[in-house]
Amino acid sequence: MATKSSFTIVGKAARRVEGIEKVTGQAKFTVDLTIPGMLEGKVARSPYPHALVESIDTTRAEKLPGVVAVLTRADVKDINPYFGHCLRDRPLIALDRVRYVGEPVAAVAAVDALTAQEALSLVEVKYKELPVMATFDDSLTPGAPILHPDIQGEGAYHELKKLQAEIQTNVCHHEHIEEGDVGTGFAESDRIFEDVFEFPMVYHYTMEPHAAIAKVDANGITVWSSCAHPFVVRAELALIFEQPLSKVQVLVPYVGGAYGGKSYTKIEPLVVALARKAGQPVRLEQSVPESMLTNRRHSARVWIKTGVKRDGTLVAREAKVLLDTGAYADNGPRVARRAATRIHGPYRIGNYNIDALAVYTNTCPAGSFRSIGGPQSIWALESHMDIMAEQLGIDPLEFRLKNLLKRGDIVKSGAKPMDADLLSDLKQVAVKLDWKGSAKRRTGSGVGLAVGVTDSEAVPVSTAIVRLLADGSVVLMSGSTEVGQGTRTVLCQIAAEELSVALEKVTMHSTDTNVTPFDRSTGASRSTTVMGTAVRAAAADLRAQLIEIGAEILKAKPEQIVLKDGEIIAGEYRIGYTKALHTYFGMPGGELIGRGYCRPGGGMSPIYPLFWETGLGGADVEVDVETGEIKLNRFVGLADVGKAINPPQCEGQDEGAAMMGIGHTLFESLIYDKGQPLNPNLVDYRVPSFRNLPAVFDTILVENQDGPGPHGAKGMGETGIVSPAPAIGNALARATGVRIRELPLTPERVWRALRDKSSK
Amino acid sequence: MLRRFRLEEPESVKEACELLARHGESARIYAGGTELLLAMKEGLIQYERLINVKKITGLDQVKLENGTIRIGALTPHRKLENDPVLKQKLPAFVRMEHHVANVRVREVGTLGGNLCFAEPHADPGTLLMVLGAKLVAERASSRREIPAERFFVDAYETCLEADELLTDIHVPALPERAGAAYLKFGYLERPSVGVGLFIAWDQDAAIAEARIAVGCAGPKPKRVEEAEGLLKGKSARDAASALAQAGEIAGRAADAIGDLHGSAEYKEHIVGVLLKRAFQQISEQRSSKSSR
Ligand SMILES: Cc1cc2nc3c(=O)[nH]c(=O)nc-3n(C[C@H](O)[C@H](O)[C@H](O)COP(=O)(O)OP(=O)(O)OC[C@H]3O[C@@H](n4cnc5c(N)ncnc54)[C@H](O)[C@@H]3O)c2cc1C
Repeated sequence: MATKSSFTIVGKAARRVEGIEKVTGQAKFTVDLTIPGMLEGKVARSPYPHALVESIDTTRAEKLPGVVAVLTRADVKDINPYFGHCLRDRPLIALDRVRYVGEPVAAVAAVDALTAQEALSLVEVKYKELPVMATFDDSLTPGAPILHPDIQGEGAYHELKKLQAEIQTNVCHHEHIEEGDVGTGFAESDRIFEDVFEFPMVYHYTMEPHAAIAKVDANGITVWSSCAHPFVVRAELALIFEQPLSKVQVLVPYVGGAYGGKSYTKIEPLVVALARKAGQPVRLEQSVPESMLTNRRHSARVWIKTGVKRDGTLVAREAKVLLDTGAYADNGPRVARRAATRIHGPYRIGNYNIDALAVYTNTCPAGSFRSIGGPQSIWALESHMDIMAEQLGIDPLEFRLKNLLKRGDIVKSGAKPMDADLLSDLKQVAVKLDWKGSAKRRTGSGVGLAVGVTDSEAVPVSTAIVRLLADGSVVLMSGSTEVGQGTRTVLCQIAAEELSVALEKVTMHSTDTNVTPFDRSTGASRSTTVMGTAVRAAAADLRAQLIEIGAEILKAKPEQIVLKDGEIIAGEYRIGYTKALHTYFGMPGGELIGRGYCRPGGGMSPIYPLFWETGLGGADVEVDVETGEIKLNRFVGLADVGKAINPPQCEGQDEGAAMMGIGHTLFESLIYDKGQPLNPNLVDYRVPSFRNLPAVFDTILVENQDGPGPHGAKGMGETGIVSPAPAIGNALARATGVRIRELPLTPERVWRALRDKSSK
Repeated sequence: MLRRFRLEEPESVKEACELLARHGESARIYAGGTELLLAMKEGLIQYERLINVKKITGLDQVKLENGTIRIGALTPHRKLENDPVLKQKLPAFVRMEHHVANVRVREVGTLGGNLCFAEPHADPGTLLMVLGAKLVAERASSRREIPAERFFVDAYETCLEADELLTDIHVPALPERAGAAYLKFGYLERPSVGVGLFIAWDQDAAIAEARIAVGCAGPKPKRVEEAEGLLKGKSARDAASALAQAGEIAGRAADAIGDLHGSAEYKEHIVGVLLKRAFQQISEQRSSKSSR
């Protein structure tokens, strides 16, 4: 596939293909579906962070009129009830013990939701409380009780070289990376800086909480779910219920936001088990408070130490990232891996020694969340960079420019060299921020910078099918989940461009694993790059077939054929796709099928990472020194996207990511007290709203057409979340002289820091 | 999730009060439902019967009568923030209403519901206290006026009897030489600290009357007479220099509670900041008025 220089559909502000359906309320989400005979499910959850389940009595609940089934541990003896794509450590319903507040202990299926809810209060559970490991400090205390003495082995999708669960401790994965010699590095350094940073637990807050409908019958298992990774869910259900993949059908209607909270498997095994027991389809629709106790981002403590030469040259780095992965591993091991690689940063630093540990605690399981491990590590790294610059008396911009990797520089051995122009990127952000002019600012106002660069987590395995139907319309079959990010529009644009048809001709339907070909997942900023490559390959396959057929019909050589606006053209002869198909099949029917694969070594480089995802940021803040409140005058984001297939969607993703980052920077924190969640609701847990938008919001898209995806695109949409915290923290420090090492930067924290500083 | 309940729809105040008297604790008034239904959905409270009072006519009007503004208890916030009479006579009240919750809550949530729920993190009660408002409660056969100061008993508790309906809120229009302000602060969904201030001047520009109330920080909004005393009789300049002390007193009087919104110490500090800013706001409005 040659690189193109002129486009008709790619690179344009194409309208959302599902836009009208959504804004008119016609789009169907999982909760909008009704399956004949469907019951409503409700879940009885553990009120204890850690306890033995001594007995469960469901007699009274079962007797309530309208109740069809009550599921408990007694009903999963004939299957393997454990799941987990990294570690199979999580039972679909509590077995001998509960490990967090909110863990499902029993589930009821009834004729309506109200009856199911009423039945929950009739389920009698006796618990015996166990010591609570509320934080990783508790879990790592020598002699602490072991939360998981009974892990059932590795899951199918951890994709780590080696899962390093430290048996007989509460460490579910320990990632270690090193290179060079830090001892010598520190010895050669003029100055050594050391800092500790804290990052809070945060919740994804998707407008649609988790929901699933399951049906189990002679055809096997059918699940409609608000999941982002249908093929992973299929694989895990097949394992649990001992079914071939062909007998597990996962369908994904529109998903109302995911952000990682709907990655991998969540509530599906429980709903399937309940439907299996009920003998009827069952729907489980969670509330926001329930979903807040289903998945979250890892809180973290990051210790970072750096050796520097007097002139600002970085020499050595040591770091340790402790991640609270909660009661079950979920994606914790992979998060630890990325937290380790991401704290290295995009700087020239040859000696490093980095550890990241995912640690079990008695809190809600933590998993994927937009840029796994990124915000935690980069909050620490980029704050640390400014602290060092200040101490060295070097301008933080100059300090970064001095150490940033140039295009082609080695980041670390074995990894893809830097594939972005970070120096010019950072300079662009600084200009927009008026970095030079900011020196003259009055106290209480200031600007701050942060460089976010992450090694993409994208696994390069996707399949796509493109079908040209008899009337010239096109069906694109791709397993990418439309979670609101706009992937359908982008993939349809890629297919339409390749096939030389109008965008309106291409339709992509929602995933049905019985018919839609395999895709690894929707996440890791991978769909445009990886699935886009598969889609483009499928369309190119179809295109080649059209050329061959056209050449035959028009009696021309394939090299003479041009495809344009749905027509096959050879010199002055031309024939529309429809007519060509009719001629080829000898009837007004038939269809052509193009297939496309993307796999390591096939259409995609096997070298990790697929691309370096960039999210640079600059913040201009105003601090109310009396209350400690931070106001954002401006936020500048920059993403190197290679090629923006749909520029407004790229801007939307980058600004959305930044806004989400502003959330954990200024407002969000899921608070636990001894294992009890204190604010699992949207009144006490504050997500930012429109009034918290920066007064000016700039997004710069860099397009060098140099990414591994179609037309030089590379992934984006995640890394924009990492810069706001350090950029705002750095701006706060420059505006007021106070440095805060713990998020969120609540008014009270800022006020206290200001007061402590002035009383010194 | 919402449990089953019976819905009553009385068409007069009398009928509503009779229903309340008949069903006692098992029934509850349902106005906008923005508090009630939320709490019921969460399973925090449960009632067998809800008495929807929105069918009663005439309780959602704002009228000016003999220098008193009469606000029907069922008037939604949205209507209050746009009301022409209030805009002219009580701009501070309009500003406060404009910042209550979000537009969806304001559209259906009523002033009466806000006051009767007595959720500590609420705005109107604090401002109404300094404006000298009276709350009118009716029973099937009687009616009484309650000064705003006496209405709130504790968090989620008012002095209303089980069979009383709040029907009206009477607010004296702002006197000629007077100003009022309400400022709030918070970073969660609901306010953490609120301060109401009313100042009236005499002919010599000395402060004839000062009323200060603090809300949100503690279990209920309250007046702080001790702090008011520091401002009374003072010129603007002297009052300004007494503000820091008044703020400290008001902060302590707030009975601030340490919770998710912040520590008690911080809330006390914020009371002082808001009092100072409220005073500035009133002073600025006064000087811009006199320069016109
Ligand atoms: C997300 C959110 C944010 C909010 N933020 C703010 C804020 O910033 N500031 C603020 O001040 N408030 C805030 N509120 C509260 C809001 O103002 C109230 O929810 C609303 O005004 C209540 O009115 P309602 O008509 O919906 O009351 P309802 O929910 O119908 O009733 C509340 C209670 O009052 C009783 N009641 C109602 N009317 C009467 C009556 N006439 N006589 C006797 N009893 C009665 C009911 O029985 C019930 O117990 C917020 C609420 C929400 C949900």
